[in-house]
Amino acid sequence: MKEKDKHSGFKTPEGYFEGLNNSLLDKLIGEDTSIPQKEGFTVPEGYFEGVNQAILSKIQKKETKVIPMNPYKKYYFAAIAVAASLLLVIGLQWKKEEVYTFDDLAASEIESYFEYHDYGMSSYEIAEIMPIDGINIQDMLQKEIKDENIADYLNDNIDIFDDLNLEDNEY
Amino acid sequence: MISEASLVDQLKDKGTQSQAFEVLINTYKERLYWHIRRIVLDHDDTDDVLQNTFIKVFRNIHGFKGDSKLFSWMYRIATNEAFSFLKAKSKKMGISNESLQTQIVENLQADVYFEGEEIQLKLQKAIAELPEKQKLVFNMKYFEELKYDEISEILDTSVGALKASYHLASKKIEAFLKND
Repeated sequence: MKEKDKHSGFKTPEGYFEGLNNSLLDKLIGEDTSIPQKEGFTVPEGYFEGVNQAILSKIQKKETKVIPMNPYKKYYFAAIAVAASLLLVIGLQWKKEEVYTFDDLAASEIESYFEYHDYGMSSYEIAEIMPIDGINIQDMLQKEIKDENIADYLNDNIDIFDDLNLEDNEY
Repeated sequence: MISEASLVDQLKDKGTQSQAFEVLINTYKERLYWHIRRIVLDHDDTDDVLQNTFIKVFRNIHGFKGDSKLFSWMYRIATNEAFSFLKAKSKKMGISNESLQTQIVENLQADVYFEGEEIQLKLQKAIAELPEKQKLVFNMKYFEELKYDEISEILDTSVGALKASYHLASKKIEAFLKND
């Protein structure tokens, strides 16, 4: 049966029923309310003038923050390779009678070499060439990081867009 | 006034980034402050959340695709930061989110940055009783005077659903204020 016949010839403007909810809600919302317009919150004097600097200095601080690295056990192999190459070059050029071996290098000397010489690699470059397997984060850090500190960091710094709980079903 | 698109371009360019970021802070700091303040209520907490919001915006600006307005994107980050802050706070204190809400409203009486009278305190109590989404919609519409279209983009909810939420929230608050 045609829609027109069902309603004895009456018709409604196109989209009337789709917009009905909205116009009813508009009428309800438009009613006078007794809710106060003033909230009572204030801010410290000069707060908005000073907040720019606070934000900018925090950003600068975060940008320059570097995790201290300490090349320990896992880096000895690479360190020895570099040191050996240097010794070889020096040995060949100076033609000294005394020949150094790997065993002559104390671990502390290798460590101090890396500490005081610029070997042309950034922390990021080292991270790229180092194998991931078998390396523990604690090998690279001077201080141990506790699980609770990691949990706190994640809590404070991770975007949780999905946790907003903004589903449509709560109105 | 600089257009939003060119501000975003400047924010992504290392050479103009710092200056553009200051423009961004100046343009939005007050609006975002009040949006956050209405969620966390305390000034010092709001200050922390506001600063974190801008830091997140700065660090993630390269990921901003322009699918929504910059303004909506920042509001979303501010909202998430504020709720995450409250969640972390309640966890740290070992109490539920609802108990924390009650506690921070009660703390308003002693807050030097709250000069409301009894009716304003009652209003905050009424708002604290609302479900999270109704609370957001009510504040954004009634106090922040955002348009439904803008709220719709920020909260990713249809205008019809927002109107219904707002209507329900207003009625609940009115009823709360009438009761002693």
